[in-house]
Amino acid sequence: MSGTTVERTTLLRRKDVLAGLLFVAVALIGLYVSRNYPIGTAVRMGTGYVPRLLCWLLLGLGAWVLVQGFFETQSERAASLSATAAWRPLVFVTASLVIFGLSIERLGLVLSILLLIIVGAAGARGLRPFETVAAAVVLILLSWGIFIVGLGLAIPVWPDW
Amino acid sequence: MELAHNLALGFGIALTPANLFFALAGALIGTLIGVLPGIGPIATIAMLLPLTFHVEPTSGLIMLAGIFYGAQYGGSTTAILVNLPGETSSVVTCIDGHQMARQGRAGAALAVAALGSFFAGCVSTLLIATFAPPLALVGQSFGAPEYFSLMVLGLIAAVVLAHGSVLKAVAMIILGLLIGLVGTDGNTGGTRFTFDITDLTDGIDVATLAIGVFGLGEIITNLSRPQEARSLVAQRITRLWPTRDDFRRAWPAVLRGTSLGSILGVLPGGGATLSSFAAYALEKKSSPYAAQFGLGAVEGVAGPESANNAGAQTSFIPMLTLGIPGNAVMALMIGALTIHGIQPGPQIMTERPTMFWGMIASMWIGNLMLVIINLPLIGIWVQLLKVPYRFLYLAILLFCAIGVYTVSNSPTAVLLAAGFGVMGFIFARLECEPAPMILGFVLGPLMEENLRRAMRISSGDATIFLQRPISLGLLIAAAALCVLVALPAIRSKREEAFQES
Repeated sequence: MSGTTVERTTLLRRKDVLAGLLFVAVALIGLYVSRNYPIGTAVRMGTGYVPRLLCWLLLGLGAWVLVQGFFETQSERAASLSATAAWRPLVFVTASLVIFGLSIERLGLVLSILLLIIVGAAGARGLRPFETVAAAVVLILLSWGIFIVGLGLAIPVWPDW
Repeated sequence: MELAHNLALGFGIALTPANLFFALAGALIGTLIGVLPGIGPIATIAMLLPLTFHVEPTSGLIMLAGIFYGAQYGGSTTAILVNLPGETSSVVTCIDGHQMARQGRAGAALAVAALGSFFAGCVSTLLIATFAPPLALVGQSFGAPEYFSLMVLGLIAAVVLAHGSVLKAVAMIILGLLIGLVGTDGNTGGTRFTFDITDLTDGIDVATLAIGVFGLGEIITNLSRPQEARSLVAQRITRLWPTRDDFRRAWPAVLRGTSLGSILGVLPGGGATLSSFAAYALEKKSSPYAAQFGLGAVEGVAGPESANNAGAQTSFIPMLTLGIPGNAVMALMIGALTIHGIQPGPQIMTERPTMFWGMIASMWIGNLMLVIINLPLIGIWVQLLKVPYRFLYLAILLFCAIGVYTVSNSPTAVLLAAGFGVMGFIFARLECEPAPMILGFVLGPLMEENLRRAMRISSGDATIFLQRPISLGLLIAAAALCVLVALPAIRSKREEAFQES
């Protein structure tokens, strides 16, 4: 039994198997979400006609990719989703953007950029605190100059209270 | 002398101070991101796309186009001096360009690359001006069934000519088509895949998707890789002018590269990268100096560098005349047109001649600027290579954030882009090319509209696509491509073409 589990884990690390699963999953979610969209007829297509058609197509293609992945012989095509330290940039880069999106209208440009840079800088190795602050100051001045003064965009600069 | 008249009109537009400024801005930004590894033209154009809303559509397009071909100039600088491709289209330039630099002939390599690119830029600008009008006329005669079949062919051809698994690329197109459907259905008024989020009822903007997948996805991918050591050729570049022997050997390669790049650029899925790989393979096979390739053969720089610039520019032809994007950059150009409420398609040339010809004329002006930016001022760009990526990505991250916020002044777009960034990272890890997804995304609504119209014309008979001769021909071509790519002999050739280095 242990032999099959080993095989299963290596199978799940293959790029094509994972990609196939991803496509199948998206297609299934799409079919579920669009289950109540009116389909209509070919002459008068409803809201759901094309979306459902595409979901079925994606389901088929995803299954095909999945099956191909199962029979793939090259062992070096294993995906390394978790092996390397990818979680660090993934988490911090994504978080920095989410924080920017949530703060830009409440805290204004200057403070949101500061937050973005501080959180974003945590995503890379070897950035010293002093360097981060210096980069933040330069980038705040630069974007203030380009977007507020230069292009006159209507973005709040400071929090309004 | 229709052509001369049209070009005169174009230069009248392109030479206004504002448009000269935007051409210069595009050329400078293009060179900058071309020189810097880790950021490409797709991400840059996506970031700047929302800003073009604040300027004239013609000026905006002139700048965005300048970024695309400017990146082809800048990319070669890094390839030659650092042995690192500044752009994917300069990968093959590293091979011989860097060898030349190590032999103390960096100046000659840079000059050949820039002059070859300039020649290619001039020729392809003329080609666009010559072939765009007749092609647009053909496009104007197309009905809904023909358009639908043309888009099918365009999408299929795009994945066949791109690298990586065809099957996964087709799945990525479908995924893009699905994302393109998010929002309100223009025909029935029903909402689709909005998950009850109000901001999604207007659909997702192409800039949001592209900034997420290309901009943020690339940042995460780059940061998760160990930093590569950069071996800048330290000596000063003293002699910029190539020798007579260099000229004698380079000019036929420039001609071959320009012709090959011009042809490959027009094809869907073509453009800069494919052109440069194909040109290097051609030079290596046909050159009498074949033994010198890899050791600093000047043809190995001249051919691919001319080809990538020619391909970058001729890929505008199908976008401008038919409204069909052949690569991700052209998909973003269509996005830029839509921001201004301009429907892409063959009618652009007749309805907006000043924009059409102004943009074409600006390409020649932009190329002239680029030679000056890249040759006498080369020292400035070399200095920029000393900026470490850990500073660079903070700036890219910020421009992504502000860019995506200004798309619609909504925080939701920023959150969406963050999600697309995670998606882009996963795709990169799973070797799923994101470019076909963007093509599908842009073409999705157009395809649905034309499918609906075609079915209404035929009262629901799907064979209408086979009954119309032009539509049938286009579909046969698409089917033939699918069969061709499945043949083992072709498949191995296709993989070979992308594994030159």
